[in-house]
Order: sequence, then C-alpha cells, then structure tokens
Amino acid sequence: MSTDPLDRPWRLWASVAILSVFVFSVLFGFVLLPIIQGRGAGLDAFESICRALGLRPGSPAAPQPASEAKAQPTTRVAWSAELMQALDRPSAIGAQLAAACTACHGKDGRSVDPKLYPDLAGQSAVALYKQLNDFKSGSRLSAVMAPLAQPLSEEQIVAVSAHFAAFPVRSLPPAQMPAPSEAIERLVARGDPTRAIAACNACHGEQSGGPPEAPRLTHQGAQYLSAQLRAFKSGERRNDIYSRMRNVAAVLSDSEIEGLAGFYSTTFTY
Amino acid sequence: MAIGEEAIVRSELRWAAVSIGVVSLIMLALIYAGIVHHINPPSNIEPIDPKTLHLSGEFTEANLGTRVSAEGQVTSRIVATQFTFQPRCIVLPANQRVTLRFATPDVIHGILVTGTNVNTMIVPGYVSQVHTVFTRTGELLMPCHEYCGLGHSEMFATLRVVPASEFKPDAQGRVSCDAR
Ligand code: HEC
Ligand code: HEC
Ligand SMILES: [Cu+2]
Repeated sequence: MSTDPLDRPWRLWASVAILSVFVFSVLFGFVLLPIIQGRGAGLDAFESICRALGLRPGSPAAPQPASEAKAQPTTRVAWSAELMQALDRPSAIGAQLAAACTACHGKDGRSVDPKLYPDLAGQSAVALYKQLNDFKSGSRLSAVMAPLAQPLSEEQIVAVSAHFAAFPVRSLPPAQMPAPSEAIERLVARGDPTRAIAACNACHGEQSGGPPEAPRLTHQGAQYLSAQLRAFKSGERRNDIYSRMRNVAAVLSDSEIEGLAGFYSTTFTY
Repeated sequence: MAIGEEAIVRSELRWAAVSIGVVSLIMLALIYAGIVHHINPPSNIEPIDPKTLHLSGEFTEANLGTRVSAEGQVTSRIVATQFTFQPRCIVLPANQRVTLRFATPDVIHGILVTGTNVNTMIVPGYVSQVHTVFTRTGELLMPCHEYCGLGHSEMFATLRVVPASEFKPDAQGRVSCDAR
C-alpha cells in the first residue's frame, strides 16, 4: 500500500506536538511546580526537585504521643475475618449456654416480655457478640446483663451469639401495623441532611454496608428501642464505636424517638 | 457522494483543534490549581491499623479533637467513620499553623474544608495529615467528599475557626466546641 503524501507532514507534526507536551509536563511537574510549592514550605529548589522525583522522602510525620490521655476505649471489641467466620457457625456449646438465657430472652430467642427484654432471635450474631462483650467489659452498663455476661469466655460469647442469631425472627400479626408517618419514614429511608442524620437504614438496613455491628431493629419491642435511643441521647449508653449512634440520637426529638421505635417494632420491611 | 480529500483534512484539523483546546483547558486548570491553590500530593506515608484504631493510642475516642501541646503545637485528631465525623465540631485558631490528622476504621472517606485548599482522602490503614493556616474566622463546612455508603450525603463536620484571643485551651490543652 502506498502512503498518502498528505499523511506525512501530519504525522511529523503530531509527533512533535506529543513530544513537546511530554517534555513540558516533565519540566512543569518535576521542576517548576515543586520549586514554586517548595518555596512556600521553606524548601530549597534542589530539595523540592529531589522530593518530587521520589529521591528523598517527604517531611516525616511529627512524632505523636502513643496515648497521652489515659483514654478508655468505648469498647474492647475489634473485628477480624476469623471472628466474623466463627460467628457464622452455630454449635452445640451455644445451645447449652442458651439455657441460662431462656427465662428472659425466651427459648428460641423470642423474649418472654418484649417490653423488658429484647429479642435475640434473628439478630445479627456480630451485634450480639459485641453487646455481650460490652456487658462483660462494662462498656455497656446493665445491672441485669453484666453478671450474666461476666463469667462467659470469649469462645462462649461467640457460641451463644451464633446460636441465637440462627433462629427466625418473631412473626408479627399484620393487623398490628399502623401506617407510619411520613416524617418518620423519611428519617428511616433518607435521613435528614440539615441535622447531619444519616438514614437509619444506611446502617441498620439489611445488607446496608454500614458498620458491621449495627443491630437489626425490626421486630424488636418499641419500649426497648425507645429506651435505648434515649440512653444514647443522654450518653448513659456510650458503647457505640466513635459515637456513630450517639451522634444520631443526640439530635432526635422525643417524639421522633417514640415514632421511630414504633415504626421498627411493627414493620416487616427493612 | 464524493467528498474531496482536502475537505476531509480540513474537517479533521478543525476537530483536532477542538480536542487540543479541551485538553489544554484542563491542563491549564491543573496548573492554576497547583500554583494558585497550592494543591499537591501528600508528602508523608504513615500506616496505622484500622481494625484496632478505636482501642488504644492516638485515635481512641477520648483522644480526639483539638489539643495544644506543651510546645504550643496545635493538632486536631479527627476520625471519619460511616457516617459521621468524630468529633463533629472542631475548634481551631486563626492565623496560626495547625496540623489536622485524620484516620478511618472502615472505608475510604475524604474531606475538604470549604473556601480553603485543605483537601485529602482518608484511606483505611493510613493517617492523612495536613498542615495549614486558616486566615478567615467563622464556621467552615467540612463534608465527606468520597462516596462511603448510603449515609454519605449526611456526613459532614464543622470547623470553627476563632481569633487567637478566643482560643482558650483547658488544663489538658484541649479545646472543644461544647466548652465555649
Ligand atoms: C434476668 C433476665 C435476663 C437473662 C436471664 C438474660 N438477659 Fe440478656 N438482657 C436482659 C435485659 C433486661 C436486657 C436489656 C438491657 C438494657 O436495657 O440495656 C438484655 C439484653 C441483652 C442483649 C443485648 C441485646 C441488644 O439488642 O442490644 C444481649 C445480646 C443479651 N441480653 C444476651 C443474653 C444472653 C446470651 C443471656 C444468657 C447467657 C441473657 N442475655 C440472659 C435480661 C436478661
Ligand atoms: C452511622 C450508622 C447508624 C445510623 C445512621 C443509625 N444507627 Fe442506630 N446503631 C448503630 C450502631 C453501630 C449501633 C450499635 C451500637 C453498639 O455498638 O453498641 C446502633 C444501635 C442502635 C439501637 C440499639 C439497638 C439494640 O438492640 O440495642 C437502636 C434502637 C438504634 N440504633 C436506632 C437507630 C435509629 C432509630 C436510627 C435512625 C434515626 C439509627 N439507629 C441510625 C449505627 C447507626
Ligand atoms: Cu464518608
């Protein structure tokens, strides 16, 4: 195939153009810009060029105190892949341990009195594990649960959490379901950007991709849910990592708390 | 239909000019941002374990917020987590060199402080550090600018920049929004 004579000068100039863009970028990115920006940070030209080229390391981090405050962590729980897998496997040990819980939380994890005791059936094992750990370490205060959680070992907590998580949730009669108000439904599904409240379902929804330890809320007793929300709001309950739940509850009004607790206690969805 | 060779070349040149123009404009915007706004890549790499971030050391909840060291260095430690900043309101002095240190226990977040060139990603496993001087006082919005999940659009914090005379650390060198 013969080349078209029109193509030849075009190719030459295109190559020249691309090459000059390349040369300009190298000069600008590795020489000119570092010198200009380095001046602001008090670096000489040679030092800034070496840093831009990666020949010298950047400014070392200012040394930081390991833990200058004798800070108490909100919880002792830390997640790992192994722990998550262990929580997926119900075992015989779990069933044995659960005998100590049935008086309040029911035989199948369905509470004998939802006004007083939360349902454990169908709750995420990860959430149960974290709460039991926090009762044990004292991060979450409960005069009833603390003495029950304290004797449990790490393995026993994993086993009993996996055990209760495996039961199906309580079934609710559809007749009980009043239509939720629009404002409550908006908080649940959309949140409130003006108050920086993320939608409850961004964290509590099924497979929401939020914090792993966020518990399932649906089918739980309204009294229990509103008591927890009030406790987060007042700071009485403070075992949520980095205030994820306290920051939300702090700006909820009392009527919103009642509405949200009612919504979750009666709804099948979410 | 026959189009002359010359007409094709002219049309190609016109379109080439358009695309070169677009690319040049973008390059100019980058150069402008680099020189005028001092936007540059981070200069230090500092790893930290995201799984135990909340347990011990620098990023424990009680350690977060603004703190003035004995040498007078102002440092604010902030955690970005789904879907909140902790603390949510941060006090900093104006016209003074301050250091912001960010970390996350979960997914990638990012911050920018409106009206300033403070802008960084916050990647699990690393501390993101920014040195800056705030020249304007007032409440500056600091939204998360890296999609981090369903609650991303409600994730923001406030930087309260106060004149040096109103910046009063307590006995431990801490300054928080509630204390004022
Ligand atoms: C005497 C009654 C009683 C017994 C027995 C009991 N619990 Fe509880 N449990 C409670 C109460 C009350 C609460 C709510 C505490 C609160 O309000 O903070 C609770 C809360 C919990 C929670 C937190 C649930 C949530 O959604 O946050 C878990 C997990 C739990 N119990 C597990 C257990 C396990 C496992 C056992 C058996 C070893 C057990 N409980 C035995 C009364 C009891
Ligand atoms: C940023 C994520 C996030 C958002 C948004 C959020 N929550 Fe939570 N919530 C959590 C986490 C995490 C926990 C578990 C705290 C812990 O670790 O003890 C929790 C716990 C709770 C509990 C206690 C449940 C129990 O079984 O003990 C209730 C009730 C609750 N949230 C209600 C709500 C409501 C209502 C909303 C919406 C207004 C909401 N949450 C929004 C993350 C979130
Ligand atoms: Cu974010």
